[in-house]
Amino acid sequence: MKNSTKAAFACLAALAIAVGLAACGGSSDETNEATNGGVTRPAEGPESASMGGKVPTIVIRNGEPVGGIKQLEYNAGDEIRFEVKSDIAEEVHVHGYDLMQDVPAGGTVSFDFPAEIEGIFEAELEGRKEQIAEITVNP
Amino acid sequence: MSFLPFAHALVARQDLPVPAWLFAWGASIVLIASFFALAAAWRKPRFEEARWRPLGAGLSRTLVSRPVQVLCALVGVFLLGVAIYSGLRGTEAPDRNFALTFLYVTAWLGFPFFSAFLGDIFRPFNPWRAVGRAAGAGFRAIAGQRPAHLTYPEKLGRWPAAVGLLAMVWLEIVYGSSGGVAVGLDPHAAATAALVYSGYTLAMMALFGTEVWCARGEVFSVYFGMFSQLGCFAVESGKLGRRRPLAAATHWATLPGSAAVVIASIATTSFDGGQGGAFKSAIESTFHWFADRGVDLTTSLRLTDTIFMLLCFAGVGLVYALGVRGMRTIRGAPSLATLRAGFAHSLIPIALAYLVAHYFSLFVFQEQAQFTYLLSDPLGTAHTDLFGTASGGIDFRLVSATTIWYVQVGALVVGHVLGLTLAHDRALVYWPNYRDASRSQYWMLAVMVAFTCFGLYLLSAGNG
Repeated sequence: MKNSTKAAFACLAALAIAVGLAACGGSSDETNEATNGGVTRPAEGPESASMGGKVPTIVIRNGEPVGGIKQLEYNAGDEIRFEVKSDIAEEVHVHGYDLMQDVPAGGTVSFDFPAEIEGIFEAELEGRKEQIAEITVNP
Repeated sequence: MSFLPFAHALVARQDLPVPAWLFAWGASIVLIASFFALAAAWRKPRFEEARWRPLGAGLSRTLVSRPVQVLCALVGVFLLGVAIYSGLRGTEAPDRNFALTFLYVTAWLGFPFFSAFLGDIFRPFNPWRAVGRAAGAGFRAIAGQRPAHLTYPEKLGRWPAAVGLLAMVWLEIVYGSSGGVAVGLDPHAAATAALVYSGYTLAMMALFGTEVWCARGEVFSVYFGMFSQLGCFAVESGKLGRRRPLAAATHWATLPGSAAVVIASIATTSFDGGQGGAFKSAIESTFHWFADRGVDLTTSLRLTDTIFMLLCFAGVGLVYALGVRGMRTIRGAPSLATLRAGFAHSLIPIALAYLVAHYFSLFVFQEQAQFTYLLSDPLGTAHTDLFGTASGGIDFRLVSATTIWYVQVGALVVGHVLGLTLAHDRALVYWPNYRDASRSQYWMLAVMVAFTCFGLYLLSAGNG
């Protein structure tokens, strides 16, 4: 092989490896899931409300979610349940599913609907356009 | 605390990141396809001639007849008018106003997707070309002679279109993301931009001539026209005919700046695809760097996004330039300038693949809005129902997340193979010796693998 040929092959191999490594590094933390009875569920991180028990609550103080945007993750077919507790009167809008509910100042609203659309959706305070949750529905 | 406004105003649903197993499959198929390409069988160029053949006389004559041309032109002008009017007079809610979805989804994504199969379907509907031609005809009727135009500086080539393309996307995804909330470009701004662009385009057409400007500077003609080179129908000497798919692309990049157009396309899609995922943390730290120095939040964000968009342009351009330099080292290679222009068309399928991968779901979902409530209630007043579809909406269950993944990865793989095909074919023109031609293609192969794997990476890093 000519030198230029060798160099080309080396470049190609190096590129492929570099891109591969970068991608694996980038995606491994997101796809780190534990399989449980045939159902894939996130091992940690986002709150998996579908596992029963406590319903996650998003607390709104001064028009902002306490602790930042709440990550909620479900599988298609699950029941999406969460509550929004707010110190101000607002309207909560779940995009994609297009659900709206008013919450009075100092009050709480509960959402409960089937996860039938796959994708990533925002929930926001409609009046001040403040995102309060990111709802992920995996297939 | 303030959150970065990454979400797209029109987008109520974001794609899930491509899972690791699908990424691995996609990348493996790309590598295997690439090694097959190294041993590609054909040794004579096959795409240099488009082999255009006219369709049946009746159909051909009807479709390109004067009345049909006038009708298409009127439709184009009318729709642009509706979009501008809706933007100026309609609701400020981007998702309820006809203007944004029509301009940035239906036209901006629809024309590339369909042109790539059908050929240049934008040209007959181009509203500015229509006005330019009508004005030219009027001038001839009154003055009795053709309007005199300035000679276009040929060195500029398609550079005005490349810059215009960057500006177009910048307006939507950089300027549009303002104020610390997810608003996106508001309809009023979009309509104003369309008016300004119309004025600029008509002025340029008056200066240099309608067809000259359409082929070089008119952003939409050049951009959609680029994808249409892959398609299989074309009008030649007043007749509609069929040609070999992909083949017309081989003679597209003959004007200076053509490479910049296709690079700008890949770069802007990369930026939009990566800003919420792959580049997110880098963008956030740059944003905070500006914000900490007293720059207000909106300016910091726009500044940061502008820098990253230009970095994408530089990065994509650099990868291509490296491939071109590499090919120059092969015995008997033509000049750098020849190589740079000579292989630019092989990136068109990659640019198309990036568009499909990043906007397929947006297009499918948002077009439901376009043909239901946006059609019946273009101003978003909630009181109009022109066609009885105002109460309709988007059914996000139409396409499953899994289907979207397959379309995304499939598009990148197919784009990769088509890009390699065009590059290999062009190499056979420059290097009569088959072995040298193959050797030169190790370099383009590296370029294509880099773009395709980067595209897969952007998808797997998602928006979160």
